[in-house]
Amino acid sequence: MNALATLETGLLLGLYALLAGIWGVLWAVAQLRPTPIVARSAVAAYGLHAVAALAIVLWTPLGLGWKCLIVGSSLVFLALPPMTWRFLQHTHRDGVSQDDRKSSQHTARVEARL
Amino acid sequence: MINQGRKYVEAPRWAALGIVVIMVVFAYNVIGTAIAARKTTGIITVLMIDLVPLMLLYLIAFPAITNMSAELFWWWWLVQLWVEATWEVLIGCIMALALMQLLGTSRRIVEAWLYIEVALVLGTGILGLGHHYFWIGTPGYWLTIGGFFSALEPLPLLGMVVHAVYDAGAQHMKTTNRPALYWMMAEAFGNFIGAGVWGFMITLPQVNLYAHGTQWTVSHGHFAFWGAYACGIISVLYLVLQRVRNLAVVEGQLWKWSFAALNLGLVGMTGALLVSGFVQAFVERAIGGSTLSAFISAQENAWFVDGMVTRFLLAIVFTAGYVVLVWDVLTLGRRVPAVAAVSAAE
Repeated sequence: MNALATLETGLLLGLYALLAGIWGVLWAVAQLRPTPIVARSAVAAYGLHAVAALAIVLWTPLGLGWKCLIVGSSLVFLALPPMTWRFLQHTHRDGVSQDDRKSSQHTARVEARL
Repeated sequence: MINQGRKYVEAPRWAALGIVVIMVVFAYNVIGTAIAARKTTGIITVLMIDLVPLMLLYLIAFPAITNMSAELFWWWWLVQLWVEATWEVLIGCIMALALMQLLGTSRRIVEAWLYIEVALVLGTGILGLGHHYFWIGTPGYWLTIGGFFSALEPLPLLGMVVHAVYDAGAQHMKTTNRPALYWMMAEAFGNFIGAGVWGFMITLPQVNLYAHGTQWTVSHGHFAFWGAYACGIISVLYLVLQRVRNLAVVEGQLWKWSFAALNLGLVGMTGALLVSGFVQAFVERAIGGSTLSAFISAQENAWFVDGMVTRFLLAIVFTAGYVVLVWDVLTLGRRVPAVAAVSAAE
């Protein structure tokens, strides 16, 4: 790997992970506030993430195995936010268990103050 | 008396012994309480199991091994495994308890996520240790193992960020302790950016060959530690203060200033260190071939110097934020009118 490729590859890998994070956050925000702009921004973020993955595959001197890992991770990044969200909804659906004690944060008096 | 001469394990022998004593006392308290109560929960069970390797791994701080490769091999068990396995689980247990207190989240939910975290720590954190075995004389297969498992680490961190957004939405950011909630959110995002993004830049062996040991890795270390631990600890600190000082609601302006200054200072410092690290990887390692003259060239490079100066200036911002935080913590109950404990009034 030459000198410039070191920096380019490092930056592309960072950008790749950052865009995956932005995709995840925007996707989750879109579930809370289902407005077209947020949903489109999430899709755009994942699109840019895919472009970063493509750039890593095509332009960096990483080995084939690492490039396959990048592509595979991109597919997992795509599925991860919806999967996590569904699991969160599933675990929160059944309410409290009998082991729970009422938190001092959520008494009627405190909620009235909020 | 001053240090043991080992980087990252600088604590002098007397202080290292003190750390062991504190860990043993902590373990005794937790396990003794569980035995006295004749009852345990999933969180406490995980915590008790975690305390065993937490105590044992620190013992690697004591022996002096003269073979450099062998020394570094075991030394990373302390620097990496102690931090990324045992302390990750410990902070996971503490955050699980904090979530129950702060958001009233069901025990069943936080325990389910704690078990997932333990599985992910075992799956990626332990073998992710391999990225420290790249250039210390260990067999070449560590390049593959370390690179692969470290590259998987951003995945669970993204799940954590999605979880944070879910919790924020479910609570509409309303709570009686906003500082604790905001610092908990900062933990999720800081962990993803510091460990996930910053770490992913340098975790593959081809890049790490040039980046390891430069300010680039320092930048990653600062950001990841801040996100993974510091933010969570500050969050728990506010929760404990609320209970100890009988505050129904924790609010005010000071925590906002400290939150902003600390996070701005930290992001600025790590950004500046990143620029300096780029210069080292590029000029000293990739072009200069890690010679002494290349080292000096990189140290004298204007971008490197500017990066370090900027880091210093933003460290002042960070320090100011820390001072405000300390002041806020010390005076919280005195400035904010304390009322009787809500639980007592109910």
